[in-house]
Amino acid sequence: MLAPVTGTAVGLEAVPDPVFSEGLVGPGLAVEPDRTPGRAVSPIAGEIVKLLPHAFVVVGDDGRGVLVHLGVDTVQLGGEGFEPLAARGDRVAAGRPVVAWDPAAIAAGGRSPVCAVVALDAEAEAVTALAAGAVRAGDDLFRWA
Amino acid sequence: MAERRVTVESETGLHARPAATFVRVAAGAAPDITVAKGDGEPVNAKSILAVLALDVRRGDTVVIRAEGDGAEEVLDRLALIAAAP
Repeated sequence: MLAPVTGTAVGLEAVPDPVFSEGLVGPGLAVEPDRTPGRAVSPIAGEIVKLLPHAFVVVGDDGRGVLVHLGVDTVQLGGEGFEPLAARGDRVAAGRPVVAWDPAAIAAGGRSPVCAVVALDAEAEAVTALAAGAVRAGDDLFRWA
Repeated sequence: MAERRVTVESETGLHARPAATFVRVAAGAAPDITVAKGDGEPVNAKSILAVLALDVRRGDTVVIRAEGDGAEEVLDRLALIAAAP
């Protein structure tokens, strides 16, 4: 799983939304993004099966899916500040930009821009080799065994 | 097979929070449970990936079906979750 955005890797428990911090969606990792405009990239190669302005799901050829969720309560923005760079049904390479956004603008609006990356339908133990500290978009973020 | 048809009212559709709650309840129940968007292909309601990939938006109708012991009870719970604003 590649980091979708550049910033600092943090545990999902640091995401100020219990859906992610309590692992209700699944295990994974989060990235506190640098406060500069950037592009969120796909963590894996596969098909985009869901694309909202602030979140997307990519399914690999092995059938496993990963959710990238940009910011907390960002659904309330109604897509403002997010620009899709791909479409639902597109096949993407790992590292391919999917959404352009500006974490600083999200933070300025009083919301956390933290980016959660979740292994869907995975057991917690399946997620290993968690990155720590600074990561760049496209760097290894964690392994899904 | 028991069935419920529900209009999704959540702002995000059946996305992060409602989807996670829906799947958690479904996965904790004994019956086989499927969910479909309208008259589309039913998917496993116990899979968060399958439910997210359905791409259910606000105003969409979902059809939830279950078969087995406790089907009616779990369908009532799932229908409430899916219809919650």
